[in-house]
Amino acid sequence: MKTVNYVLSGLGGQGILFMTKIFATTALNKGYNILGAETHGMAQRGGSVVSHLRIGDTKSSLIRAGAADFLISMDESEAYRYLPYLKKGGKLFANAPGDAFPDKQIAGYLDRMEIEPRAMEASRTAMELGSPKSTNLAMIAFYSAFGMGPLSADDLRATVDTNSPGPFKEKNLKIFDTCYEVGRKMV
Amino acid sequence: MKEEFLLGNGAIALGLLEAGCQIMTSYPGTPSSEILPEVTRFAKAENLNTSIEWSVNEKVAFDNAFAAAISGKRAACCMKMVGLNVAADSFMSAAYIGNIGGLVIISCDDPGPHSSQTEQDSRMMARLGKVPVLDPGNPEEAREMIKTAFELSEEFQVPVLVRPAIRICHARQNIRYESLKSNLTKADFKKEPTRWASTPKFRFLQHKALNEKHIKISEKFNSLTPYNTHNLEKGKTYDLGVVAGGVPAFVIQDLFAEYEREDIPILKLGAPYPFPEKFADEFMDKCAKVIVVEETDTVIEYMLRDKSKTLGRLTGHVPMEGELVPEKIEAVLNKAMTDCSIEPLSADAMAQEAFGLVQTLELPIRKPTLCPGCPHRASFYSIRKAMPKAIYPSDIGCYTLGSNLGVVDTVLDMGAGITMASGFWNAYIQDDVKKPIVATMGDSTFFHSGTTALINAVYNDSRFVLVILDNYITAMTGMQPAITQDKRVDGRKGNAIELETIVKGCGVKYLKVVDPFDTKAMIKIVKDAAEYAYSDDGSIAVIIARHPCVIGFRDQAIPEKIPVKVTDDCNECGFCHTSFECPALYEDKENEKTEINHTLCVECGVCIDIRPQGAIVRA
Repeated sequence: MKTVNYVLSGLGGQGILFMTKIFATTALNKGYNILGAETHGMAQRGGSVVSHLRIGDTKSSLIRAGAADFLISMDESEAYRYLPYLKKGGKLFANAPGDAFPDKQIAGYLDRMEIEPRAMEASRTAMELGSPKSTNLAMIAFYSAFGMGPLSADDLRATVDTNSPGPFKEKNLKIFDTCYEVGRKMV
Repeated sequence: MKEEFLLGNGAIALGLLEAGCQIMTSYPGTPSSEILPEVTRFAKAENLNTSIEWSVNEKVAFDNAFAAAISGKRAACCMKMVGLNVAADSFMSAAYIGNIGGLVIISCDDPGPHSSQTEQDSRMMARLGKVPVLDPGNPEEAREMIKTAFELSEEFQVPVLVRPAIRICHARQNIRYESLKSNLTKADFKKEPTRWASTPKFRFLQHKALNEKHIKISEKFNSLTPYNTHNLEKGKTYDLGVVAGGVPAFVIQDLFAEYEREDIPILKLGAPYPFPEKFADEFMDKCAKVIVVEETDTVIEYMLRDKSKTLGRLTGHVPMEGELVPEKIEAVLNKAMTDCSIEPLSADAMAQEAFGLVQTLELPIRKPTLCPGCPHRASFYSIRKAMPKAIYPSDIGCYTLGSNLGVVDTVLDMGAGITMASGFWNAYIQDDVKKPIVATMGDSTFFHSGTTALINAVYNDSRFVLVILDNYITAMTGMQPAITQDKRVDGRKGNAIELETIVKGCGVKYLKVVDPFDTKAMIKIVKDAAEYAYSDDGSIAVIIARHPCVIGFRDQAIPEKIPVKVTDDCNECGFCHTSFECPALYEDKENEKTEINHTLCVECGVCIDIRPQGAIVRA
């Protein structure tokens, strides 16, 4: 399989490491090799966090600017910040109000790069479902609805299921199913 | 067989235990900090008898490991690259003396830098200390190299340095492994004073022996596959070849695979020093030019020596500073290929355009800040309030971020909060100026290298106020236990060190302890301390600002939750979110009003006291 590159971005505290773990565990269960890169230390105190995840037989962990297949961001500004990583024809998923996304200033660039932007208000949905800290799960589910890449919605949902501790399982799966449906309506 | 999606530092930890490392010491520092906790985790899970220690500094860690190694055990010592500076004296000397059991030093580099004060290249330290060095390209290779490092160290009786860069330490990779076993080699130190306590005469002989070892190790490195490899085709010559080590070597292999380019050979040097002369010459002979891509300095580039053929930092082809991220490496290769009339990999214009576009969006600047409820913020507020005109020398830790509050004027290295305070005092008092100075330093940093600084300052009658920010933990690097607490990293009991006793033992006569959450009390104490320090019969005044870290000890740090609200008395001066800089306070751009972000607020209540118009009150 050709290496598939995911750039995940967001703010400190939004649970980007858990998000990475869900993708990575799913890929591992499918028998793929994975390499990723994370943010730690002083850099982590800054608020802007990014995680690179490469599924396939690659030797280096960082995704080159212009080489990511997917950019999934838990924050609108952090989606723009890491936009240069998306390749031509890459897919963009952001936690943002759909009617105002993307920012007009980048629409031309997205067009020329044939990048398809998709947005849902993941934080708001998570909040409404009583889990304000589950923007990460909401974005995974939203992304999974479009059936792109080597990890299916069923695979990702199963990983969320097994990695959610008892008291959170039901809530997490509810968020997953709700946000999956939001995505399905846009397909 | 088990499989984990391991942090690179976890892969290194696994490699250490697979190699039978018996003694492991470290001092935390990004990007090395997770190695020791991962060793602890594996040792516990696999029921190993590994001895694991957070030492008070890197030199102490090194010496502990060295003693174990000359007793015949396999020992390792881990640190960040600036930590190797602290251990440099031991490091250089140990190379001459050599060891019996394997001694592996892991010094993690931070090209970027992401979380460090320099971008120094540990391979340069290896060169300076005449210590063989291995330079891994990804977590899996780092894990394997640790085993090779131990074997080399025992074969040649010399310490071996492994230099993982941050992209290894904080990469993650799926790693498969088998069950681990304890190494039961017993300590057996054999006295040999001419070796272990050698005088200069014997040092000369040891130096000679070390140089002879280097010739043999270089010979070995000529064929140390798979770390040192090239893919020259027999009988073929090339217009351009790539010479690369560490992380960039694998990035380049991936790039060539992605662009399906097989016309440019790569010499990968994962074991660059002692330099594999013959192997490198073989490669150079077949290439009209070579481009050297290495992090972070010019180790291989200098050792290649052939100026007429070599492109790299010295010819302006490779940036002299900063991390060599893949897009930069791509640009470096494109330029070298173009210069050698070879078709480049790509036009690489699109990514540049995108970075430019992002610049124009004026995205929120997210600079590092202290956490909501951090006791350091309260301390800095009080210090500035009490002594607004002072010079504020500070140090390395979370509290370096006090610079955002204007209460950190200098950061040199670990321990310099105190040494620079005495230096400033001396510089001003020569002109008969009693300069107000308030130094700050964290508890872990104080034990690391503050005590010698304090003893020196007391003895030489320097005058300043020192505030030791005691939050019970080494927070910035990931919550390693402080030695003031009695629980060691592996759960065993430690003999907790009392900070007050040490400070008094340094000869300090004025010592007060305060909870920084009580800003009124702290302001008063800082003023009082300054009065004492600058009086004729005074001396250095030390204040311990003691409050547990809000992340490491959530319940203890906020014993009583004090929810707050902003009243209509607020005149939007912005002090609380710009100068006091609490991330939980912000200006709502639409209403132009100061608001509280209740998701971030930990309800410490400190802002009630600092608010200029008394406009933040208990909700």
